[in-house]
Amino acid sequence: MTAVSVHDDGHVPPEIVSSIFYSAQVSDVLSLLVAESFGRTQRVTWGNEGAVQMLGYGLDDLRAMPVEHLFPTLGNGELKLLLRRERAARMTLPVRAASGELIDTVVSTTPAPGGRMWTIRLLSTANEQERALRATADAHERRFSTLTERSPIPTLLSEQGMRLAHVNDAFCTLVGRRAEQLLGTGWIDAVHPDDLDAVIEQVSAALDGGEVETQARLVRDDGTVRTTVIRFAHLFTPGVGAGFVGTIEDITDRLAFEAQLAHQANHDPLTGLPNRTLLAEYVAGRFRPGAGGLACLFLDLDNFKVVNDSLGHAAGDELLAEVATRLRATVRPGDLVARFGGDEFVVVCERVDEDDAVALAERISVALARPMRLGGVDVRPYASVGVTVQTAEHVAAEELIRDCDIAMYQAKAGGKGRITVLDQQARAEARDKLRLVADLRDAIERRDITLLYQPIFSTADQRPVAVESLARWEHPERGPISPAVFVPLAEESGLIAGLGLLVLDETCRQLAEWDRLMGPAAPPRANVNVSALQLDDNLTGQVAAALERHDLAPSRISIEITESALMKDPAQAREILQQLRGLGVELAIDDFGTGYSSLAYLRHLPVDCLKVDRSFVAELAEGHVEIAATVIALARNLHLSTVAEGVETAAQAAALRELGATYLQGFSLAEPMTGGHTAAWFAAHGERTP
Amino acid sequence: MTVTPFPGVDGPSAVPVFDVEKVLASIDTMAAQKPVAAQIVSVANSDDTSAKALSRILASDVALAGRVMKLANSAYFGMRGRVTSLQFAVTVVGFTTVRTMATVALTDLDDESRLPDDFWDLTTCLALSASTLAPRFGERPQDALCLGLLAQMGAALLFHNDRDGYAEIMAAEPTFMGRRAAEVRRYGVNSLRLTAIALEQWGFPATMTTPLKHVDDYRAMEGALLRSSFELAARLTVEDYETTPIVRVSCGQLREDDVVPVLDTVRGDADELRRAMLGE
Repeated sequence: MTAVSVHDDGHVPPEIVSSIFYSAQVSDVLSLLVAESFGRTQRVTWGNEGAVQMLGYGLDDLRAMPVEHLFPTLGNGELKLLLRRERAARMTLPVRAASGELIDTVVSTTPAPGGRMWTIRLLSTANEQERALRATADAHERRFSTLTERSPIPTLLSEQGMRLAHVNDAFCTLVGRRAEQLLGTGWIDAVHPDDLDAVIEQVSAALDGGEVETQARLVRDDGTVRTTVIRFAHLFTPGVGAGFVGTIEDITDRLAFEAQLAHQANHDPLTGLPNRTLLAEYVAGRFRPGAGGLACLFLDLDNFKVVNDSLGHAAGDELLAEVATRLRATVRPGDLVARFGGDEFVVVCERVDEDDAVALAERISVALARPMRLGGVDVRPYASVGVTVQTAEHVAAEELIRDCDIAMYQAKAGGKGRITVLDQQARAEARDKLRLVADLRDAIERRDITLLYQPIFSTADQRPVAVESLARWEHPERGPISPAVFVPLAEESGLIAGLGLLVLDETCRQLAEWDRLMGPAAPPRANVNVSALQLDDNLTGQVAAALERHDLAPSRISIEITESALMKDPAQAREILQQLRGLGVELAIDDFGTGYSSLAYLRHLPVDCLKVDRSFVAELAEGHVEIAATVIALARNLHLSTVAEGVETAAQAAALRELGATYLQGFSLAEPMTGGHTAAWFAAHGERTP
Repeated sequence: MTVTPFPGVDGPSAVPVFDVEKVLASIDTMAAQKPVAAQIVSVANSDDTSAKALSRILASDVALAGRVMKLANSAYFGMRGRVTSLQFAVTVVGFTTVRTMATVALTDLDDESRLPDDFWDLTTCLALSASTLAPRFGERPQDALCLGLLAQMGAALLFHNDRDGYAEIMAAEPTFMGRRAAEVRRYGVNSLRLTAIALEQWGFPATMTTPLKHVDDYRAMEGALLRSSFELAARLTVEDYETTPIVRVSCGQLREDDVVPVLDTVRGDADELRRAMLGE
């Protein structure tokens, strides 16, 4: 078979022409007509199968039909624009079918050379496939619009740049405007002017293909403002260009909630006042080293505990709330009132001198002292006020608050209801004390606190039966510091737990060492002092741990607790003593007779021994034996032993023996000694009378 | 092909020799003189056109590129000067608009010396009215804007080719509808249909050409948006204009109340759009 091909000169062989013509003639997919000019009219001269089927005319009817008859919507002069002589043309036109129906078509015409004949191609725009496509597209469109219309999420649809083609009801509701007001660039009016730049920035990014979001405020028609997050997604329509879909999340309520949480974190719920955290931030934010004019007033209510204990916590809360109200009403506008904690308040003022600050403190005292009715009782909430005005010496904001705290303590110490301005000397003393606290902390950490041991003798045979551990601190610069100074200091500054543990552990270690060196000649027992602040649930565990660590029997230890410590919280004290007793250690009440113990209560405490205070022993020399005698008799009646402290003379020792004291302790008998000397002393004296 | 005698003018000697087919042919000549614009007109509607490709072509016509940039940064698109690259400008204004601007350049619509009086005042009002009203008619505002910008192209072409004759029609017929009837009498085709034919020739979509054919049929919804836009444009630009009820021209889609804010918007934006389109 020979292939038929187009000749080099472009001439198409007749076989191909007739083949194409045949396929065109019988095609029912393609609708083709041929028109020719006859004078001033153009008539159809031929139509293929497709045209006949589409239009419904018989081929004979079609032939010789004027072309304008097929295109009734073409005006007079318009036919020649469809049938152009020099070039092809295309129009969207309805074509009239035999039934009279108008079929929408795209009409393409191609003139034959010579310009008298045209091929006309009719392409129905209403064919099945297109209809199906359009139906699908319409369905998509409807689905999309239903989705966005009904969606509770405010949604924007841009068609071009910032111009919106569509907004849903949720967005209209959010900004309180009608869709018509928002379409196009109308929605720009709903964007807060300060946020508009950022929005346009993000729209640009979205149009460029990005997925972005921004926080922006939207202004409602009524002027209220909603804070939102707008998320933009790129939207590309082929042949049209880029737009975006924007979805909006209204975060106004969430932000308000977060702000409320932040407020709660920084404010006291009872009084609504800023708390300590916010106070610190506030002062730090206004503190300029070397500047002046910043003042802090520290207020502590006098006798608040009395109100709380006697009228109840609700009344206490009411009192605090009323104090807060009075403070707010009394300070100048712009001053800060904060609740520092408990019954403590701080007022911060700017641009004041000392006189102003004191004047304000006086006004506050007067305002607070007005009576208020609480639980049927008139209460006057007096306060002690410490005042500090910033000086060149203040290098950090917290020093200012600390100084007014010190001033308040001085005010309190001077008698209640006073105002004290922190002066140079007081500040220097306070600083000095702070340094000492720091040194004490170091000393405890480095175990620079040493123990001395003072022997205790039995009156029955004058033999040493125990020692009392006594803590000593030799300060590297200040020399020896008395326990009367450093023990209260440790209690105030939270170091007492560490100090107490150190004493307990060192005593046990020493006992174990004596045992190892001396065997049975070692001191049988050591008395260890425990502070009131140590008297908690941890104490028994700590004692047990120390004993275990050094492999000692519990009976080797006697815990000494002051009478006043026991009376702070008698119920708790009793419980802890019972725990200790359960452990097997001995218990002694120190400084007995100086407090106000109820004898009935004393009877129920699981103690073994009372220590007669040295003041009563001292009285013996002046002939006053009554108290010492009473204490000793009392102990005997309760089947308790007694230790008389501070025995300075042989006469005192003899008198106490006479009165029936069980044990004696004092300088005249034996001085406190180091662990090493104690060992030597016991080795020398263990078998002899002093 | 000649001669539709102009009414009221006696004798064939006073009638210009006028062949509307030549008008269309003249467009081809214009296209040959402005190849860049012609290329944009032919590629911009293709589905695989990208902003990148379009901006690359556009870049070789500095004047046209400048106008696209100006339009992209105009208040109409709300981008406030954020559009600094040509490609982004094409993205912002959209391909149809770029194509429309190219068509304007191609048909010398940017040369006011060759246009009827107040051509651009009318055209910008028409385009902005169409774009603003489009959502009410379920149409894309952007297509409506382009349709409005190009609708009067036929009139411009007629004026190009028959300056005196067209001026007489304008003087004699104060209303657009009357003018179009006169155009048919004189040229065998009215200016909007001429626009439609030209746009179809360039492959503009039927959505843009169909309304042009139905403007004068008050029952035809297809022509309602453009008809309403002509009404608004007339109210804005024609002195002592006798209004037609908007409810009638809009096939009931609009009330007079709806028109007031639209007139304000159009009045506000018209100048800037005109400047962008003409590169002033």
